[in-house]
Amino acid sequence: MTVQPATATPPPLVRLEGIGKSFGPVHANRDITLDIHAGRVLALLGENGAGKSTLMSMLSGVFPPDSGTILLDGAPVRFQSPREAIDAGIGMVYQHFMLVGRMTVAQNVLLGQDRGLFVRPRDMERRVGELAGRYGLDIDPAAPVAGLSMGERQRVEILKLLYRDSRVLIFDEPTAVLTPTEAGQLFAALRRMTGLGKAIVFISHKLEEVLDVADTVAILRQGRIVDTVARQAVTSRHELARRMVGREVLLEIERAEAPLGGAVLELEGLSGHGLDGLDLTLRRGEIVAVVGVAGNGQKALVDVVTGLAAPAGGEVRLQGKPWAEFFRDPPWNGAVAHIPEDRLGVGTCPELDLVDNVLLTTRKGFAPGLFLDKKSALGATRAIIRRFHVAAHGPEVRARQLSGGNLQKLVLGREFFRKPRLIVAEQPSQGLDVAATEEVWHRLLNARMQAGVLLVTGDLNEALQLADRVAVMFRGRFMAVLDAAQARDLEKIGLLMAGVDAGAPRA
Amino acid sequence: MEPPRWGSIFIFPVALGVSLGVSCLLLAAQGKSPALGLEVLWSGAFGAWYTVEDTLLKTVPIFLCSLGVAVTFRMQVWNIGAEGQFALGAVGATWAALTFANLPGALLLPLMFACAAAAGGAWAAVPAWLKLRLGINEIISTLMFNYIGILILEYLVYGPWKDAGSHGFPMTSQFVPAAVVGHFPGTRLHWGVALCVVCAVGLWVLLTRTRPGFELKASGESLRAARYARMPYNTLVLLVMALCGALAGWAGLLEASAVTGRLQPSLMVGYGFTAIVVAWLARLSPARIALFSFFLAALRVGAENLQLELGVPAAFGGIMEGLILLTVLAGQFFNGYRIRPGGAHR
Repeated sequence: MTVQPATATPPPLVRLEGIGKSFGPVHANRDITLDIHAGRVLALLGENGAGKSTLMSMLSGVFPPDSGTILLDGAPVRFQSPREAIDAGIGMVYQHFMLVGRMTVAQNVLLGQDRGLFVRPRDMERRVGELAGRYGLDIDPAAPVAGLSMGERQRVEILKLLYRDSRVLIFDEPTAVLTPTEAGQLFAALRRMTGLGKAIVFISHKLEEVLDVADTVAILRQGRIVDTVARQAVTSRHELARRMVGREVLLEIERAEAPLGGAVLELEGLSGHGLDGLDLTLRRGEIVAVVGVAGNGQKALVDVVTGLAAPAGGEVRLQGKPWAEFFRDPPWNGAVAHIPEDRLGVGTCPELDLVDNVLLTTRKGFAPGLFLDKKSALGATRAIIRRFHVAAHGPEVRARQLSGGNLQKLVLGREFFRKPRLIVAEQPSQGLDVAATEEVWHRLLNARMQAGVLLVTGDLNEALQLADRVAVMFRGRFMAVLDAAQARDLEKIGLLMAGVDAGAPRA
Repeated sequence: MEPPRWGSIFIFPVALGVSLGVSCLLLAAQGKSPALGLEVLWSGAFGAWYTVEDTLLKTVPIFLCSLGVAVTFRMQVWNIGAEGQFALGAVGATWAALTFANLPGALLLPLMFACAAAAGGAWAAVPAWLKLRLGINEIISTLMFNYIGILILEYLVYGPWKDAGSHGFPMTSQFVPAAVVGHFPGTRLHWGVALCVVCAVGLWVLLTRTRPGFELKASGESLRAARYARMPYNTLVLLVMALCGALAGWAGLLEASAVTGRLQPSLMVGYGFTAIVVAWLARLSPARIALFSFFLAALRVGAENLQLELGVPAAFGGIMEGLILLTVLAGQFFNGYRIRPGGAHR
C-alpha cells in the first residue's frame, strides 16, 4: 500500500465526467463532473432526492450511467456489478448492513475471501484484528455480529472493504444509525483512513457533520452539482444551507387572492409519533406550506391529518369536529382529500384501470347500496380525463401506463371530485416537468376557493409560489410559521430547515 | 410470489407435457410401460360415460373449495385451510342431519346448508382473526387447522356419532332420505353441480358488481393504496375467509350427503389441497377454475385407474398433481426472467 501525500493537487483517483441518469421521466443525475482524490474526504451534500445516492450507486457498480464516463486512475471503467467495482477498489457502506448475524466479525469480513478449503478461526481473527487496529476501529474480531451495536456493525462493513484493499470508500448517510459518540469514533476512523491514503466519499444532508469531516464539499440539487467548495473556503453555515436549498426561481405563477373562510384544520400542541407540540390553524381560502428536509415529522403530520394515525397528544379538529369524531365515519366527499407523495404505490393501484383508480377513493359515491354503478363511474372518469387534461388512450388503460404528470393529474381530478374542504398535498410536483408542474400549481391555487390546502413539500420554490404561509419543520417541531413575505428570506429558511433558530445564529 | 399472469396460457400445455414426461419416466422406473400407463390414465378419466361421471363428481368439491381459496388468494391472504373447512362443513351438516332427522327435506336441507356454511366459515374465521389481532401467519394456522378439523371429524365418527349397527366401522348411520341431496334423473350426478353454477355466478357478481368486491380487488392489488383509500381491510379479510370456509363447507356437505350418504373418515381425500393447486393455476376467473378443477379431477380418477390396472402406488396421483404445479411455477419463473448469455447484470 502506498501512502500518497495530500499536498499539491495530484491527479484524481476517480473522475466522474458528465454523468447522467434518468429513471423514466425523472432526471436523477444530470451532467455531473466530480473529482475524488486519495487522502481526502469528499462530502456530497444535498436534500433527499437530490441525486446523491444515485450518483454513488453508479460509481459502486449498482447500475451503469446513461451518459458520461467514470475514470479510475485516468482510464475509463464501466462496472457491470458491485462485485466488479469492489475488485477495482471502490466499495460502499450502505445504510442497511449486509452481515450474517450468526457469524463472528472475522468470519463476516473474510466471507467469500478464503482461498483454502480449511479455515483457522484463530488466524482469521488475528488478521482482522490487525487490520482493525491499523485503522483505529475498535472491535472484537471473535464476537458474533448478532450481539453488536449498529456502530460496531458499521465497522464490520468498513473492515470488509478495507480487507479487499478498497481505495475509495463511499459512506451513504453513515451517521443515520449511530449515536453521537459512535459518530465521533467514525469520524476519527475516517481521518485515519485518509491519512493512510484512502479516498472517502461521505453522503449526507446534515450540514454540521459535513463541516466536521469534509475536505471538499460538493452540493447537489435536483440532480446537478450546484457548487464544489473546499472546506477552508466555507466561511458560514448560512452559505451552505442556502446553496443546498437553492435560490433560483424555476417557475413563476400568478396567484389571485382568495377570500379567507372558516378553519378547516386546527392543531393545538399536536405531539407523538415524533411530533413535538405543533400549533396551526388552516382556513378555507389559504395554502399553508410545510417545508423541511424529509424525515423531520412530515409523514407523521400527514398521517394524523388524513386520519391514518390517531394523534397521541394535543388537540386536532377538522371542520370544527374533534379528530376522533371526524374520522369515526368520514364522508367520502365534502371532507378531506389526500394527494400522496407516492402516486403509483399509494395513490393508485398500478395494475387497475383508470375507472377503478377513480373509484378508489370515490367508491362510496357510486354505490348507494351494495352495487357499484360502473356506468356513472365511467362517465366521471371520462370527465376527469377531459377536464384535467390527462393524456390517456382512454379510461380502460392501466394506471402504470400513464406518465408521472398524467397520473398526478388523474389523482388531482379524483381528489377534487370529492369536493374536499381540506386538501393535503404531498410533494405534488415532484418528478413532473414544467408544464405539468404549472398545471398542478394552478389547480391547487384554484382549489382555495372551496378548501384549505396543506402543502407538504421539499421544494422551497413551490412553497414560495403557492403558499400564504410557510411552516418550517425540523425534528417534529415548527421552527417558525412565516408569512409569505417573510418566507422570501431564503437564508433564514435555510437555517431554520437545518434546525438553527434565526434568533441565535452560530456560524 | 404472484400467481401466473394470464398472458402465459401456453405455459400450461408445455408444463403438462413436461410433467407427463416425468411421470412416464417414473412409470418406466417401476417397470411399467409408459405408453400403456398414459392410455390407462386417459381411459380411466374419459373412457366411458361412467368415468366422465366420476370425474364430474370429483370436480364439484374441488371447484367449490378452489372458488373460495382463489378469493382469499386474490386478497393476498394465503389460506391453505380448505381441507379443514371442508371437514367442518361435513361435520356441521351431519350434526343437522342427525339431530333433526324427522324434519321434512324442504326444511332439513336448507338447515344443513346453513350449518355447513356456519361451521366451515367459523373454522376459517378463527385463523383470520388470529392473523388480524395477533399477527399469526395464516399459512401456518390454516395448515394446522386442517389437521385439527380432520381429527374432530374422526373423533365424532369413532366416538359419539358412531352408528351402533356399523360393526365397529367408523361411520355415522345412514342419512335419512330427507337429508340427502338428490340426483339428476338417470345419472349419478347430484344437484351440487347446479350449486357450483350458482356459486360461480354469485361470486362473479360479488367481485365485479359490488362495492365490497371492488374493495377486495383493490386491497389485493395494493395494500398501501387500500389503506390510503380507507378500505376496511380487516373486515374484508374476515369476509373472504368466512366465504371460503362456507364454500368449502358446502363441498363437505355434498360429499357426506350426496356421495356417501353418511359421515365417515374416507371423505377426507385431499380435495382441499387440490383446490390450492387449482386456485393457483386458475387465478380468479370462475370459468378457469371450473376448467382446472375438471382437469385435476380427471387426473385423480385416471390415477385411480392406473392404480387398479397397473398396480401403481396410490401416491402416484398426488405426485403428478405436484409435478404439474411445479412445472407450471417453473415455467412462470422462466417466463418472468429472461436468460441472457454472458452473465450480465439485469
